[in-house]
Amino acid sequence: MNHRFIAIAAALCVFAAPAFAADTHDVKGLYLLSDYPAVTVQPGATSTVNIKLHNYDMAPERLALSVNGVPKGWTATLLGGGQPIAAAMPAADDTTSIDLRLDVPKDAAIGTQTITVNADGPNTHIALPVAVSLAKQLPAKLTLSSQLPELRGNAHSSFEYTFTIKNDSGKKLLVSLAAQAPNNFDTSFTEAYGTQQLTAIPVDAGKTKDVKLKVTPPDTVDAGHYPVKVSVVADDAKAASEVALDITGQPKLSLSGRDGLLSATATAGKESSIPVVISNTGTAPAENVKLSGNAPSGWKVSFEPKSIERIAPNQHAQVQALITPPAKAIAGDYAAVLNASAHSETGSANFRVAVTTSTMWGIAGAGLIGAALLIMVGAVARFGRR
Amino acid sequence: MRREGSALRGLGVVTLKEISDHMTSARMRVLEWLVVLVALAAVYAAITQVRDVTAEDPFLFLRLFTTARDPLPSFTAFLGFLVPLMAIGLGFDAVNGEHSRRTLSRILSQPIYRDALLFGKFLAGLATLSVSLIVLWLLTIGLGLIMLGVPPGAEEMGRAFIFLLVTIAYAGVWLALAMLASIVFRSAATAALVTLGFWLFITLIWPALSPAIVTAFVPSNDEATLVIAAQSLARLSPSVLYAEAVTAILHPATRTLGPVYISQLQGAVMGSPLPLWSSVMVAWPQIVGLIAASILLFVGGYVAFQRQEVRA
Repeated sequence: MNHRFIAIAAALCVFAAPAFAADTHDVKGLYLLSDYPAVTVQPGATSTVNIKLHNYDMAPERLALSVNGVPKGWTATLLGGGQPIAAAMPAADDTTSIDLRLDVPKDAAIGTQTITVNADGPNTHIALPVAVSLAKQLPAKLTLSSQLPELRGNAHSSFEYTFTIKNDSGKKLLVSLAAQAPNNFDTSFTEAYGTQQLTAIPVDAGKTKDVKLKVTPPDTVDAGHYPVKVSVVADDAKAASEVALDITGQPKLSLSGRDGLLSATATAGKESSIPVVISNTGTAPAENVKLSGNAPSGWKVSFEPKSIERIAPNQHAQVQALITPPAKAIAGDYAAVLNASAHSETGSANFRVAVTTSTMWGIAGAGLIGAALLIMVGAVARFGRR
Repeated sequence: MRREGSALRGLGVVTLKEISDHMTSARMRVLEWLVVLVALAAVYAAITQVRDVTAEDPFLFLRLFTTARDPLPSFTAFLGFLVPLMAIGLGFDAVNGEHSRRTLSRILSQPIYRDALLFGKFLAGLATLSVSLIVLWLLTIGLGLIMLGVPPGAEEMGRAFIFLLVTIAYAGVWLALAMLASIVFRSAATAALVTLGFWLFITLIWPALSPAIVTAFVPSNDEATLVIAAQSLARLSPSVLYAEAVTAILHPATRTLGPVYISQLQGAVMGSPLPLWSSVMVAWPQIVGLIAASILLFVGGYVAFQRQEVRA
């Protein structure tokens, strides 16, 4: 234990007179300690070095604190309990925690600077040199990796990417999540196994967290390859990754009468044909489009032709719907639904069919009246007399 | 002795004379007052009811004719019994009146055939009735315009006009029947009584009696057959035909006048009005029935008159 202490004290370059006076069994005196007295920072960044002032079995003493060797343009501030301090007074066998905050200017030269923290009391004089190296590149504090960065689907599918965020910085971070997708794409982050949407997630030091990104493309999106940039930010650390959506086309069928007319007339018991236009407003060709009709019972609905082999995107095809109301249908309006379907895509339209009854009976009625008139003429001819 | 020349010689003279007789008679005064009072009562009742009840209706104007308000019947129901009364009133003494006044042989000694006399009397009666009905119709529409403040559409006017024609055809049936009675019975009182009795029977009793007759005489247990048979039997009454035709013409949503199977209504868009032509097609058998009935009744009267001894 003691050996270790001495080894650590030597390694940490704690130069204090009492350190050498301390015997192997009983450490006594005041020490300035730091876990990591040599740090690397980036120019333009702010770094904090933890320092402890430890009193080993000595009477409490007021120690004035100062910092020497601060390069020009740098700012070194001693903070205790969150505010700037100029003196410290640890109790016997107690530690006072001090932060050395370093604001390094952007134009600071690359190299190593030594900053010395001094604590001066009536009887004690302690110094702690802190070596500050400047480096352009720092090892990443956050990493973001995606397990399946490219997904394929159609405009109606939902794309879900799982990301792993790793926190390599020395402290717990609150990581903000952001995704940059093409216009009108909807993005949302959720927990890996949850539904709650997130904008930030806390990650413990040295730990990883999984988050899920769900991207919903707009229904009208064209087929193509769409990248989504994902970035995570926490304090001064950030990481980015890119995923992509590979959207395949989807046919979309719509049905209407010619010139958009959705009404038709039919005579009871007679076949009448309605011109129907089937359009593909989707992004992929519709293959093998089948046509069907839903009419009241007793009605016959067929199509000429019965199916269409292929409709290219933004093209349309015309068919004739042949509708035969039953002979006993009564006059008036009826609703009939005509459908076009290709695989999973369906388009339908509601037609209003006005049924008129056959004019046969009208002619028969006129004939009856004619017959009555004939009888009258016959009577006049037969019975006419002076 | 065979007739020489056209049967219609002298028709114009007889018709005009008969019309002028009708127009100046006391009966016409009574008819005129009936027309005015009926129009006022029916339209007033309909309009107060329409104002209270009807909201959005594309055929608001036709509701003038069909809306009833207790205790008054609707305009069409009024006409249903007023028209037979008017027709019988004008026709019950057409021929036997000439007999009793001993003017028939005098007329026939003029160069006028019997055919022309009967045709003329029928046409004059029909013309007089038409004048009354047209006046009544115009009065109703005019009052409706003033009191509703809504102008009728072209299709409404078309339907109202066909309604007028159907009403005239209905009047023709009863006029022909009354003239037949006036030919058959020498006494005007008997003719009037028989015609009125027949009217009461065929209008009030017959529609109620026909289902009973059907259940008694048709050996079938099928509900639909019985209903259809009863309806066919009831349609022997001109009043039933008239009521059905009026329903089809004035209620554009009427799709059929016979019984309907539920399967025939599947997929039907209910409440949607039929085009005017389709409505006429629905009512066409009834209209044909009315016209043919008046012609046949007239022919019956004609044959009876031709075979009659006129010198009394």
